[in-house]
Amino acid sequence: MAWYQVKGNDSDTVFSSRIRFARNLTGYRFDKGLSAKDAEEIIGRIGNALGEEYIKTDVAALSALKAQSLVEQHLISREFAGKKGPHALFRNDNKSLSVMALEEDHIRLQCILPGLALRDAYRFACECDDKLDASLPLAYDEKLGYLTHCPTNLGTGMRASVMLFLPALKGAGMIPSLSHQLSKIGLTMRGLYGEGSEPQGCLYQVSNQVTLGSSEEEILHKLEEAVQSIIQKERSLRREVTGEAAERQADRIHRAEGILRYATMLSSEEFFSLYTDLKLGIALGLIDSISDETLNTLLINVLPATLTLNADSAPKNGAERDRQRAAFIKKALGVSQ
Amino acid sequence: MKCESCKQKEATFFYEENVNGQARSLHLCADCAAKLQADGKLFSEHAEGFPFPSFTQLHNNFLDGLFGIAASPVTKESKNTCPGCGATWGDLMKDGKAFCPQCYTTFGEELEPTLRSLHGHVTHTGRAPAGRRAQREKRDRLASLKTQLANAIKEEKFEDAAKLRDEIRTLEKE
Repeated sequence: MAWYQVKGNDSDTVFSSRIRFARNLTGYRFDKGLSAKDAEEIIGRIGNALGEEYIKTDVAALSALKAQSLVEQHLISREFAGKKGPHALFRNDNKSLSVMALEEDHIRLQCILPGLALRDAYRFACECDDKLDASLPLAYDEKLGYLTHCPTNLGTGMRASVMLFLPALKGAGMIPSLSHQLSKIGLTMRGLYGEGSEPQGCLYQVSNQVTLGSSEEEILHKLEEAVQSIIQKERSLRREVTGEAAERQADRIHRAEGILRYATMLSSEEFFSLYTDLKLGIALGLIDSISDETLNTLLINVLPATLTLNADSAPKNGAERDRQRAAFIKKALGVSQ
Repeated sequence: MKCESCKQKEATFFYEENVNGQARSLHLCADCAAKLQADGKLFSEHAEGFPFPSFTQLHNNFLDGLFGIAASPVTKESKNTCPGCGATWGDLMKDGKAFCPQCYTTFGEELEPTLRSLHGHVTHTGRAPAGRRAQREKRDRLASLKTQLANAIKEEKFEDAAKLRDEIRTLEKE
């Protein structure tokens, strides 16, 4: 069972928590200018250090579709999917722990867990880091910490992030000011899906900006404090919806459930809109026929590349993809076709 | 830091303009910097009549932001060459990134202003590889004892200060 199929803590407001470490090996160039022989050697050494419990995927040999599906599952970055030359992914069974070998850094280790679970994600990431450290010479400097390709990742090499579901804050137009306030304390906020200022699904990622000079503990503490304060504000705004506004909101949520269950064509944009309403409905106790984890699993499975891989055949056009998406959702929710 | 335009790639270019007192800055990846400049979108609509900055000027602004070097065509040169990969300081400035771990040892002094502007700090605190943890713990313990010693002296707690001094000497000898 993948991590996103499990219910997490504070799932009314938090989609997932993630810790990422950037690490490199001494004795090799960073990614740029690395020979193919050295690249293969590094991948082999990382694989040996991680052991057999990690499943290896040779990303360079994957079709563009399969690589994109890994992006959609939050396992690899877009840059990694489109990269030339040897590069590989190592992941555990439930996809919560993964290592991109030869992304920008030799090692990009990630632990992603459902809901608010920063401390657990950090603990698991550290265990994996220790495993790598036990048999690999990690590039480290007493003053600068872990040495990384880009100076922006020096020090801890850690990005801690929490993916938040914030429909009420978005509805109140408070996202820009929140983002501004976060930037003042060294945190950044961006939409998880979609380009530009209108992220889809009301999902936002908050993460630390600075990696040098603050310890992992300090970074986590600051992020946790900020996230708790955002969660409290989001919940308080949700409680303020009463009377006719609450009735209209409930009507919109139930209509969204009807469309999700019975539509025969669904675009990605429409799905994100329904996802927002239904996730809020589950949080408010208005929807009990669909679980939060089912909805989150749908979110990943109906993105274009993963949807195509799950379908019998590749869609010939957008309309066919929209039909496949609706059919996939019906099947997942147990609605007869 | 991510590019403020595509929000995907790492920003390696810093663009800054100040037209009639109106400051504007952008952190961009190389692709977006090139595209926005080609489209003429990097410059304020009030900038009409100003000489159109060349890519070199943009590049120098980037150096100013990322490597903390004066935005002049002639930058402070380092004669060092990295023994790990053969990179020069010029190579690092051009790319905005290091080429191998040893680049950081070779160009540590030159990099310090950059790191200060990027992170606000130049010294790591936190995790270390297992083999280095004892050394780190010793360094952190010494720093803590020295702060306690300074405080003890300030507060005229001379007995405590003497104990702390002895502890520091013992630890330094280890």
